[in-house]
Amino acid sequence: MMRRRFRRPDHSVPELNMASLPDLIFTVLFFFMIVTHMRDVEKRVTYQLPAGTEVEKQQHKSAVVHIYVGKPMDGSTDGYCIQLNNQLATVSDIKRFIESERRQMSAEDQERLTVSIEADRDVPMGLINEVKQALRKSYALNVSYSATERR
Amino acid sequence: MFRHRRRGEIPSLNTSSTADISFMLLIFFLVTSSMDAGKGLKRQLPPPPQDQEQVADILDSDIMTVCLDAEGNMTLDGRTVTLDQLQKEVRQFAAVNPKHRVVALKTDPQTKYDAYFQLQDALVAAYRPLKCSPRISEVVEEQGKKGGQP
Repeated sequence: MMRRRFRRPDHSVPELNMASLPDLIFTVLFFFMIVTHMRDVEKRVTYQLPAGTEVEKQQHKSAVVHIYVGKPMDGSTDGYCIQLNNQLATVSDIKRFIESERRQMSAEDQERLTVSIEADRDVPMGLINEVKQALRKSYALNVSYSATERR
Repeated sequence: MFRHRRRGEIPSLNTSSTADISFMLLIFFLVTSSMDAGKGLKRQLPPPPQDQEQVADILDSDIMTVCLDAEGNMTLDGRTVTLDQLQKEVRQFAAVNPKHRVVALKTDPQTKYDAYFQLQDALVAAYRPLKCSPRISEVVEEQGKKGGQP
């Protein structure tokens, strides 16, 4: 077999060695598996974020707690609702929610706990102010008004 | 294809499909991942009011009052202004003594969040060249004084 190949003039393109391809892809795969943060919250409210010019990236994803304010998707009420974790809630639940989230965090994350308020543009300030008062009472003082960037 | 292997040799595993499998996983993670970290306007809330709270004395001349009414109209010390005007005036006002001068913010419970957000955004933008974060004292109508933000 070998002798025949040597004799024949070979004009075919030499084959590429693909042996290391799985390793390469696995490396990329592991990178994405580590970097990704699966969203474990199903949204129950709809909202359109405001746009601003001074927005900054939220750092330390593990230390960010989200509070969604918007219109409920199931149409149970006409007004605006607060969503904590996976269910609709009221302002009085915020304190308990922050405490339970804080308990699940590492000591480092507890210090830099940031609450991201993701609220619809048309939410009345009365509700937002109630949320903020509740956050102050639970000593979650770093807030981030979630927004999109406008250039 | 049919290679006769020597006796005692371990048969090799066909790993040509590993690449396909890992490609599938890679594509799955690429699709599900949310690389865009959330963006937001960072602000610091004041701690909750204490029982014996010391009321800081601030000169009237060091306070600039911005009101937002239910329709989203903005007034600065009683004059109606636009966001651009506000930004310019706040920058002039704060440039003198950014650590002491305070912007008092009054919102109506019916004010839309977007108007409030644009105002906060403009204030942060106004303070940006001064390299410090705005001192904002928010007043909530029903619950009385909300306190200042550092």
